[in-house]
Amino acid sequence: MDEEERQYHENFMREAIKMAELALSSDETPVGCVFVKDGEIIGRGMNETNKTLNGTRHAEFVALIQILSKYPISILQSTDLYVTVEPCVMCASALRQYGIRAVYFGCWNDRFGGTGGVLNIHEDPSIDKPYPVHGGIFREEAINLLRRFYVQENSKAPEPHSKKTRELKLLESSV
Amino acid sequence: MTASQTAQHGIFHGHVDAQKLGVTPKKGRLVPLRTRDEIRAATELLDAYVVEVPAVFASAVLNVIRIAIPNIRDVNIQHLRRVVHLSFLPEHLQQTFIASAQTWPSPEHPDGEARASDPNPTEIRYLLVSPASLIASQDLVAALAREPPFSIANIVPHVITIPVPALAPTSAEEAQQWSEKYWSISYKNTNPYGPHPSLLERNQAGIEPYAGTWLALAKVAGGQMSGRGIGANVGCAIVHKERKEHRVIAVAGDARWRGTGDSKPCREEPGNVMAHAAMRAIGMVARKRVRLEQSLDELTSDAAGQIACDVPLSPVENSFFSVDNLPSTGYLCLDLDIYLTHEPCVMCSMAILHSRFRRCVFENAVKATGGLMTSKESPSVENGLGYGIFWRPAELNWKFLAWHWENE
Ligand SMILES: [Zn+2]
Ligand SMILES: [Zn+2]
Repeated sequence: MDEEERQYHENFMREAIKMAELALSSDETPVGCVFVKDGEIIGRGMNETNKTLNGTRHAEFVALIQILSKYPISILQSTDLYVTVEPCVMCASALRQYGIRAVYFGCWNDRFGGTGGVLNIHEDPSIDKPYPVHGGIFREEAINLLRRFYVQENSKAPEPHSKKTRELKLLESSV
Repeated sequence: MTASQTAQHGIFHGHVDAQKLGVTPKKGRLVPLRTRDEIRAATELLDAYVVEVPAVFASAVLNVIRIAIPNIRDVNIQHLRRVVHLSFLPEHLQQTFIASAQTWPSPEHPDGEARASDPNPTEIRYLLVSPASLIASQDLVAALAREPPFSIANIVPHVITIPVPALAPTSAEEAQQWSEKYWSISYKNTNPYGPHPSLLERNQAGIEPYAGTWLALAKVAGGQMSGRGIGANVGCAIVHKERKEHRVIAVAGDARWRGTGDSKPCREEPGNVMAHAAMRAIGMVARKRVRLEQSLDELTSDAAGQIACDVPLSPVENSFFSVDNLPSTGYLCLDLDIYLTHEPCVMCSMAILHSRFRRCVFENAVKATGGLMTSKESPSVENGLGYGIFWRPAELNWKFLAWHWENE
């Protein structure tokens, strides 16, 4: 990846991180994303599982809902996703079925990751076209946001939890 | 409909009145899905050494093995019987061993004198030594040959290598089959590779009499959407069962062709993927929970509802969505069961897992897209994708029980 290309991707990952920061300030698991078509952001999302009480309302779905209220489904075939945490198995499959062009992510998700972390939904045998993935863009920042979330949740918890159990709980429930 | 009738709707005590639901229950049975680990356990073999010894020397030889192969403590071969009489071996091994039988001299007893309880001194046993990966065959032969009975009888140990199941059986039937095919297998009533047999049995007995009714209801939900051209003929029903009480929490059909934004119904593949029946039904449960927790009189239909289609779009969907019958103490879809006309795709399977469902039943397996079935074949669109997403506890942090419904 040359310098110009790297800056292009980092620019959009910064926007995804902004969405994750917004999630953090709304007491949602800090995962954020943007969908990009021809260099333009066409949709933004952050995790909303707590607000909606819907365990499937991940950042990717929130952004997809926004996009599909304005654009036809076929636009996704020429759209790339930038997301702070690797898409989970569910989102990875949704993206493949919708025909996403490529996925760029920050840190890996070793509990539910669907694009390399646990399963390889993006490239396994399927009737849907595979898509390329590029992980590790601003990985540290993505992890730091998750860490801040654990600390924030810890300070609110009525009884003290060890950091480890909180981390586990977070990864079980939200990412 | 009066208020009290509304409150009753979607809740059944004891008997589930299918007529009241307007459905004819399907007749059939539940077949538990096999987990990926169970498939692996059922197909993974390892090579193991077997040696012929006089019965009286069996434990002495086992001691020699423990010293010669210290690593044997680290491998789990408890499902393989170590010392076996010829008659308990598979046919083909019996023939092999009879053909290669060695002539043992009437031996001195290892402790010097014989006891009445000792096996007949000429009795032979076949001893499973270890996985072949732990020691080279010639090293094993040398180690055995140095010790009785081989050393005193001046007999070269006859070590042969056979394939045996690498992992423990998951049922008594499987243990029986393997014993006839590979080697004498012991079965303990446990299942390290999937749900415990008694847990599975109990759950199956609890839901089997009603599953045909819920699947019929799921079919109605799918039919009402496909009938109007806004979805595939796929549906699901989400049910809460506690003892004799059944509550239908949500039903949904597929709405992938409904069109998004301002667009009219559109049959262009893949359609609106997030409007698959299971995703919609899960969304409806969430909306019912929000309504309950915030004591809202009615649902506020927002823009998200129009795209995600997690609001009712047909009469049958509306009849269950409109009643507040969700147990108020719950979280996501914990303790709920989902019945689907079709095996959920990978996305929907993972959505079911994320939502913490308790049990899942589907009627039609879908090899090209399904996320629950497993198979011995290598994964492909033709053989099935083999993900077995319902039970992968080492990788995914939730698991649920899953069955395939077989029609009579
Ligand atoms: Zn996701
Ligand atoms: Zn699906």
